[in-house]
Parts: sequence; structure tokens; C-alpha cells
Amino acid sequence: MGLEVRIGDRIADVKLVRRDENVAVFEVDGVEYEVDIAQVENGVYSIIHNGKSFNIEIIPGDGPKNYYVNTFYNSHEVEIIDAQSRYQRSRKALDDHAADKIISTPMPGRVVKIPVNEGDTVTKGTTVIVISAMKMESEYKSPVDGVVKKIYVNEGDNINANQPLVEIE
Amino acid sequence: MIKKVLIANRGEIAVRVIRSCREMGILSVAVYSDADRRALHVRYADEAYHIGPSPSRESYLNGDRIIEVALRAGADAIHPGYGFLSENAEFARKCAAAGITFIGPDPDAINQMGDKITARQTMIAAGVPVVPGTQQKVSDMETVRKIVDEIGLPVIIKASAGGGGKGMRLVRRPEDLISAVKMAQSEALSAFGDDTVYIEKYVESPHHIEFQILADRHGNTVHLFERECSIQRRHQKVIEETPSPFLTPELREEMGKAAVAAAKAVNYVGAGTIEFLVDGNRNFYFLEMNTRLQVEHPITERVTGIDLVKEQIRIASGLPISFKQDEIAQHGHAIECRILAEDPFNNFMPSPGLIRHISEPNGLGVRTDGYAYEGYEIPIYYDPMISKLITWGRDRTEAINRMKRALFEYKITGVKTSIRFLERIMDNHDFRMGNYNTHFIPEHLDELMDIHPRGSKVFEDMAIIAAYFDFITKMEKVAMSDFTVTHSDNWKTYGLKRSLLPY
Repeated sequence: MGLEVRIGDRIADVKLVRRDENVAVFEVDGVEYEVDIAQVENGVYSIIHNGKSFNIEIIPGDGPKNYYVNTFYNSHEVEIIDAQSRYQRSRKALDDHAADKIISTPMPGRVVKIPVNEGDTVTKGTTVIVISAMKMESEYKSPVDGVVKKIYVNEGDNINANQPLVEIE
Repeated sequence: MIKKVLIANRGEIAVRVIRSCREMGILSVAVYSDADRRALHVRYADEAYHIGPSPSRESYLNGDRIIEVALRAGADAIHPGYGFLSENAEFARKCAAAGITFIGPDPDAINQMGDKITARQTMIAAGVPVVPGTQQKVSDMETVRKIVDEIGLPVIIKASAGGGGKGMRLVRRPEDLISAVKMAQSEALSAFGDDTVYIEKYVESPHHIEFQILADRHGNTVHLFERECSIQRRHQKVIEETPSPFLTPELREEMGKAAVAAAKAVNYVGAGTIEFLVDGNRNFYFLEMNTRLQVEHPITERVTGIDLVKEQIRIASGLPISFKQDEIAQHGHAIECRILAEDPFNNFMPSPGLIRHISEPNGLGVRTDGYAYEGYEIPIYYDPMISKLITWGRDRTEAINRMKRALFEYKITGVKTSIRFLERIMDNHDFRMGNYNTHFIPEHLDELMDIHPRGSKVFEDMAIIAAYFDFITKMEKVAMSDFTVTHSDNWKTYGLKRSLLPY
């Protein structure tokens, strides 16, 4: 069964060519790998390829097709893409495009600074609000080119998690 | 001797203090807020009591409530850890009034060292060098100009009640002076409710080097050598090491003596830290004293072999320090990295959330002081530190290579962490040469932020294979269960499928 697998920015075509117990042949973007693959503990796979040992941790992500994968060197976010998730992705892209951008924080904190005013033109990456939370100051940037439509808070305000702070149109 | 200690703190430091209590046969009492019911210190302590809602002000900073709980639990002492109430003289006084031993210095010493101007004057009187600058609080601009003419630019304007870089302004050009003073004052007023500022000569290419001291009630004051804390980001320490690659043996001895003199000048009792600025020409100046245990204390413990929390408890019990100055030495080299829940590659944004998976490093010369576990959710109310990773080596190179190895082994999934950023620092040429000062991170930021994947493409392909294999195996199981379990418990089948199939 061939599938697309997204890893970071890369989308790879993967299929299982054949399998005999632990030994399996996979094809990743046209490259064949004959490996000995074993689930050694819950969520941990040991793969031996040409005598090289790979210890790979698989952690379930937010959905059944999302994983966090740790190799020796890197942590990757991996998503299995089937027809259904491809459809959902295109829908999400459309929604994102249409909606106004409302900036909020995942945690409560305090507004340190608002370097923009309502009506200002901002480009993608312009800092629109500085928040102090968890003993750190963080700059929140505009995700798009646009205009500051509304500022909901003032400098010095205490804010809740996910409260709308600045809206970009 | 103290028999039961309440730890008025949370996170890794609460766990760390309880460890020493347990080794000493002392009972431990944890306190917790709403957000911390599941936290490790609550699970690890002998007793645990709820003290209030999640925001610190209503729980870990509520001194009266904590003292009430200590009395109810029959604790004879309170260990404040660091942060929260650790440098609150009023709290120390209230503990004493309630008949509870505060494991820390006397309230007078906290006050004397807490106000930076008083501390400065005390140090000058004790013959400890201080950075040239004002001794009196300044408010009018005439005085400001006169002082700056005297000591020369660049200067730094600091809030008297400040800390953590708040209310600080650097001035290099005369025309910026007035606005910098005004801004520092308004920041100081909003952050600390006190707009008093003072002016200091700005030390170029400074090192931040601190000395650990211990003092008991029998007239003994000793130092446990230095900690080099110059790897900082926005005045927050990121990496600490001991010995400092910058100090000479002569300077170490001289600074050690100054640190002891500084502690004696305020009749200090307990564990404390004297922070110095050291300039490029190895002139050192007293910066401030922290009247508590520091976050980075484990590196001192590692090279000296002294358990600082045990010494604190001994001293608080009225016993003398367990060793003499000439009985300790720095053995080998220790480094600490602070592992934070933050995203270094997205502006160091805090990243609270659920820890899905954690594998901690292990092996010779590796210590982790943490409190997170799999399935634990890092609360949004407190600081983002997950743990401290400490490595030891016979020499600096071994300690660095061991740190690299330990960071490589450390896997935390679910929240973003500073691990990759710390790895970059371990690889940095200037860091490895010991050639750095407090400007290291800003000066090397581009290099440290350069994201290039390490390892070959084969590693990535193996990650893809593992994820793909896991997915198809799961799908096979679902298909099998459809086929076989139809006549048994339908609820169970449905539940199983719900958890495996797309929403």
C-alpha cells in the first residue's frame, strides 16, 4: 500500500514492497531499503539497515495520522497523507486564506508593548504586540501583509490565554 | 535538628530539596496550587497540601497561607527554594514570629542585600570593589549629568529595586541620557512601584562570575569557588560552568576572599551568592548578592562534592558547616544547561503544554534535575524550565563533549525545547575555546540560529519508514478487529476504532 508521508517540508512517496517476518523492503521516493524492523518497546522501533542501527521513537501526535518521530539526530513532525487528509488540507488552506488574522497567546500574561496603531499597514513578520508570560517577553508578529484592523488590549493589561489581542485584515 | 521541612516552592527545585531531606531522614511537606495537583514534587513528598489557585500570587506567594499550612503539618522549618518567597524579608520575619525556622539568611541581611544602593554602600565600607557610579539615589537631571561627567560614558541606568534586566538602560551617547533615565524610571515604577534609579559605569566585554558562599552561626564563612554565568540571553542565564575558563588561580583566590568579606559585612548566615562583573582586563566589581540557593548550584555541588541543601539545613539547625575552607577544592569541570520549554527558532516563544514523551540522558558524569514526566502538562502559570542538565568531566573538554552527548540523548516530545539551541552552543568554536563574555549569544546569534539538519538523509528516510510501518500495522489491526470481534462487545469495538480512525 503506497502512501504519501509528510516530514517537515518534504513529502515522500512510500510503499512496502515486500515483507517476510521482520525483514521488509520499503521504497522511499524511489530508493529501496531492505531493513530488519522490530517494535522493541511500545512506540520504539529498532531498524537495522546494512549493519547500521537506528533507534526510532514514534510518539502519537494530535490525530491518528500524525506522529512525532525522534531519530538520533532530529525530532520530526510526520503526517501520513491519504485521500481524506489531502481533502482536509486543501479545505484548511482555503479557510486560512479567507479569515482575518487574530493574534492571541496560548498562555495568560501581560501586554508589554503594542508598537502598532489601528489602521497601520504591516508586512508579514512585523512585530505587532509584545507579551510577557512565563517570565519571558515574546514578540508576536503579523502572519500576513495587511492592515491592523483592531487592537483589543492596552499596554500593561493582563490577558487570558487565547484572548483576541490584535486583528490583522 | 530540623525534623520536618515544608518546601514553599514547586518544580525541579522542590524535588531537589526533598531529595536531600530524604537522605537526611527529614520528612518533607509539599504545597501546591490548582495547576500543580499532578506535579512531581507533590507525588515525591511525604505530605502535600493544597494552598490555592494557580496564579503564583494566590498560592506560592501567599506567605500567610503557607505558614498556616506549615503549622498545621507540624513542620519546624520552611525551605523557600529560589524565586517566589526566597528573598522576601517580610516572609522570613513572619516565619520566625510563628516559631518556624526559615532556611535562609536573617531578614536584615535579605533587606540589606535586596536594596542595591544599600548593598553597594555596605560593600564599599567592607573594601569590596564596586563598579564606579552613584552611591545615592538619583532623581534630578542636574545630578545625573554631573555624575556622568565624572565617571564617563558608557553608563548603565538601573532601577534600585530591579532585577532580571527590568528597568535597565544602556547609554553610549550624551544626547540619549535624559530619555534613558526617564524610561528606566517609568519602567521601574510600573514593575516595582519605586522609580528610584542609580547610575553605573558600563563595563565593556563583561564576564558574569559569581561565588558561592556558606556561613554558619559559629563564625565560619567559606566560599565554594566560582560559577561562570556569562552565557546569557536577555540577562537570563542559559549555561553555567565551573571553573571559569577566564579566571586565573590568583584572581580566583582574590575574588573568593572578597566574596567572604562581602558575606561577613552583612553578618550573613546560610547559603548565598556574590555576583561579580569581571571586565576584559580581569578587574572585578561586586554586582549584587543573591540571598538564596541559585538555580545553577548543582555545578558547584558536582566539583566540590558538597550537598548545598544539606549544608543549608545543617546551618538552619544551628550546626556548623561540615567542612573547612582548606578542605575543599574544585575537582574536574562541571557545566549546566537549562532545558526550557521554549522555541528557540521562533523568537524563544514559551511552549507550555503536554509532554508526550521524555527520555532523559544517563551515564557517567550526567545529572538531570527536573520534574517533568510523560503525560505531564507544563502549566502556563510558572517559568518554562523543564530541567537542568549537568555534566561533569575530568577537564573542560570532556565536560563539553559529555554535555553534547547528553543533549543528544535527551528527547522531549510534545513541547518545544531549547535542547537544539544548546547543542549549537556546545559546537561553537569560541565557546569550546572558553573565549566568551556576556555578549556571546547576541554576537553569535546568526550562527546559532542556522538550522541545517544533521545526519544523513538516510536518518530521515528511516523516520519515514518507521512512521509508515507503524501506520499500516495499526490499519491492519483495525481491519482484523472488524473481521473478528463483530459478535462480542460492540461498545469496545467502536471505542477502539474511534481512537484509531480519523475524526
